[in-house]
Amino acid sequence: MQTRIYHSDEQRQIWRVVPDLIRARELLRDLITKDFRVKYRYAAMGVAWAVIEPLALTFVLSFVFVFVFPSRVSGTPGAEAPFPVSLLCALIFWQFSASALSAATVSLVTYQDLVKKNCFAREIIPLSMACYPLINLGLGFVILIAMHLSFGGGIGWSLALFPLVFIIQFVMTAGLALLFSCSHVLFRDVGYMVNVALLFGFYATPIFYRLEWVMAKSSLPEAVQQNHPWLEPLYPWLQRLYLLNPMAELMTAYRQMLFESRFPDLWLLGWPAVMAALALALGVTVFRRNAALLSDHL
Amino acid sequence: MTPIIEVNDVCKIYPSRRGIRTLVGRGGLGDWLRRRNTTTFNALNHVTLNVQPGESIGIIGRNGSGKSTLLKILAGVTLPTTGNVIVRGRVASLLELGAGFAPVLTGRENIYLNAGLLGMRHRQVDAVIEDIIEFSGIRDFVDQPVDTYSSGMFVRLAFSVAIHTSPDIFLADEVLAVGDEEFQRKCRRKIGELREQGKTILFVSHDLGVINALCERVVLLNKGKVLLRETPQKTIMYYLRQVGREAGVHTYRDGDVEAIFCDGRISLYRQGEEFTSPIGVHANVQSLGSWHASPTSADWTALHRRENGCTAEGQMARMPAKWVWEQSIVDGAWQMTVSLVCERELSIQRIEVCLALSSEYAHWIYGDHDAPFPAIMPQDLQWDVLAAPEKSVQHVAALPTPASPLPPVDISVDLHDTRLFTLWANSDYNQYSRLFVVAGNFPENGGLFPPGAHRLFSWRLDTAQSAETIRTQMKAERTLRCGRMELFFEHGYINVAADGIALTAPPHFYTSMLIEGLWHNSHSLQWTGAIEADGSLRMTGESRRFPLRQHWRITPKHNAASVLIHLEVTEPLRVEEYHASIGLTAAYTNWSTDHESGVFAEITPQADIWKHMNRSFIPGRHIAATGPNLPRIALDTTPTQDSLPYRMTAINTSHRENARVLQALCASDAGEIRFVPGQYVYFSGVLRMDDA
Repeated sequence: MQTRIYHSDEQRQIWRVVPDLIRARELLRDLITKDFRVKYRYAAMGVAWAVIEPLALTFVLSFVFVFVFPSRVSGTPGAEAPFPVSLLCALIFWQFSASALSAATVSLVTYQDLVKKNCFAREIIPLSMACYPLINLGLGFVILIAMHLSFGGGIGWSLALFPLVFIIQFVMTAGLALLFSCSHVLFRDVGYMVNVALLFGFYATPIFYRLEWVMAKSSLPEAVQQNHPWLEPLYPWLQRLYLLNPMAELMTAYRQMLFESRFPDLWLLGWPAVMAALALALGVTVFRRNAALLSDHL
Repeated sequence: MTPIIEVNDVCKIYPSRRGIRTLVGRGGLGDWLRRRNTTTFNALNHVTLNVQPGESIGIIGRNGSGKSTLLKILAGVTLPTTGNVIVRGRVASLLELGAGFAPVLTGRENIYLNAGLLGMRHRQVDAVIEDIIEFSGIRDFVDQPVDTYSSGMFVRLAFSVAIHTSPDIFLADEVLAVGDEEFQRKCRRKIGELREQGKTILFVSHDLGVINALCERVVLLNKGKVLLRETPQKTIMYYLRQVGREAGVHTYRDGDVEAIFCDGRISLYRQGEEFTSPIGVHANVQSLGSWHASPTSADWTALHRRENGCTAEGQMARMPAKWVWEQSIVDGAWQMTVSLVCERELSIQRIEVCLALSSEYAHWIYGDHDAPFPAIMPQDLQWDVLAAPEKSVQHVAALPTPASPLPPVDISVDLHDTRLFTLWANSDYNQYSRLFVVAGNFPENGGLFPPGAHRLFSWRLDTAQSAETIRTQMKAERTLRCGRMELFFEHGYINVAADGIALTAPPHFYTSMLIEGLWHNSHSLQWTGAIEADGSLRMTGESRRFPLRQHWRITPKHNAASVLIHLEVTEPLRVEEYHASIGLTAAYTNWSTDHESGVFAEITPQADIWKHMNRSFIPGRHIAATGPNLPRIALDTTPTQDSLPYRMTAINTSHRENARVLQALCASDAGEIRFVPGQYVYFSGVLRMDDA
């Protein structure tokens, strides 16, 4: 058995996160499988729920936008992709980030017994929460491909690009998970803020619509123009503001890869990559600085 | 040697309002943004502590003294505010058992998960998982979800995981007070093993007995400062004096004897030396199958606090009863009366009140027995009862080794509840003590205690006498001098000697009754101590099987003793025959009665039953025996009005017993004697010794 000397102050040094996480990799895996088991063990249909949930959402949204608001859906750019497939393509990736963040944010408080009584790399708690929806994502992706094929789509080499793009999303999610979970311990308001932000994000991200619909419009709808003429000059600014949401670019990149079988536009990846790096740096730094004292605030 | 743990000038300041933050107000968001700490809690205040490898350290202190904080910092759960901590080695911290158990996972999955939290890899767990399952004793349930476990199983599994993570340093916070008595012993033994393997152990506990038994050094914390770091005895004594004003603690003294009562456990000191072992005086009750130990399952209050004593009341937590221990030290002797107050009718299977003495005591004296304590070996997992429990000797003693500074202890017990008995035992290896126990075993339905107070017994410990004095005194107390004849009283029989030479042989002078086809000897009655009154000695023996008591009254005369035995019957009783007899050594050769006389036949090796020597069974009054160079022994009966006629018979015993017996037998022609409740003369006569 190796002997480890530790200075208690070292726990706050940021570079130590790397060896700590390497040492705790098995524990991380255990926690992820634990969450998965815990979630579905006592459900009669078990893991089937991981498939049913996104399908149900796809069904209800498809119903609304294909039958209730059909005018906006057909005859616009990108309409060549069948709506349900296009919706599911964005939905599973959005759901990944949304469920990862909402679970990870409160994770340290949920698992305060562990934090208060055991010494381990604290990062693995929010990280396991961020990793756990990967399982749902994987199942969802299989359904997506099946649905895509059944609607007559073709599969190209661009499928191999999905992981590459997804890494950007994952890094960003993990960074934010660290940041939010740690700040939630200090300010319990963060949990609510994240939930509000995710609700907001669901509509501010091209999930049941397409980025092209937002960007292509050079002007507002007529009814809005008449009632609020002052909005007209602001609209380009609103579009730029909209593009600040890195998820908007990522969702569009996924769709380009699936439906157009091509490498996504580079501008769709650049901004999210910058955001992901920022989120990770900020998340890791803030978390490490506070992790060792988290138990004092629980 | 490099210390394995270095705590250098550590302070820990907690934010006062943990988990709560408001936008405004003290400690709120506004204050935090302005970096203004308004209210904080200072848990540790410049603590410096070094621990050497292999040391076992206990940490004690009142609530809020910083014990747990110190342990948390060592475990790495939180950081010190200033100062630093260096830990050289792997730490297993047991700050709470089972933190991190997922209820829906099976026991086996939880073992991996929990061991992972304690820093183990899967590969390492694979190597010890069988040991873990074995130690926890839940093999049959290990593949079931943990939420089907009882809380005891849960805790056992958790402890078992923690103890098998092969740490260099083991930190435990109040986790040993879990599980049943048996599992606690197992835990203590395991920790003892770890200690022998040279692991470093740090404990926080309120159970001073555990601390005392398992730690080499004890650190006393008070308000975040290290107050003392000394041997367990010194630190604990200092601590108890310091917290002496707390409800369940009282220190009292008289002369050079001092006693500390602390939550159901009493430690006794003479001239500053503790002569009780760490587990001290304590009590256990078994009711409806579960044990209730006085230090752990009762809530104690010390009332009537005096310089030299107090009355302690312990309300039992899981049983509608309370202990009342009236303690005092009078004339340098510690004494205590133990009562049990039942709130409603209670069924009790066993009561044990133990006086655990230090292992430095080498000899025990129990009535006519005087023997050394055997050594306590590591494989001893249970008590080793040394003195026969069917006899209830009420004056006993324990003598220390000659080199020991501990005093000889002379114990007199007064059993108010005659169902109780006393015994000497060696404890198991973990407790490592000599035990004097007042116990009661109540069979099914026999231990129904009605509501109200039950005085069980009182005892008195005298530590002022020398070993020699105690020995002579104990002998003299049981000796009655009648001229040249000496009678030694044992429980249910009397030894006779003349000029220091034993005349009787087992069974000595005794009585026996034939009831329901079985001889019922006076040895098997439960005897109270001899009481001296009006120049005679009185003893009472009570049968535990039949509704009868015998009252013996012995009055010394010149070279003779008159013996008057009354039989008290409380329920109608049928007795086939009964007698009073004296067993003499085989050196007696001749016998004589009113009607005939003869020679005792040689007792041959073939003799396996008792054999009558006389031929005539006509009732008589006298019988005597003589032998070469031996005084003549005579048993002269003095019939009273209501006593049955005696048949005086001389008997040879079996070869194994090898004794001559002179017997005064009462038998009815009807084949049985019926007794209605009342008092009867059982035997009345004189035991006389004449020169040959």
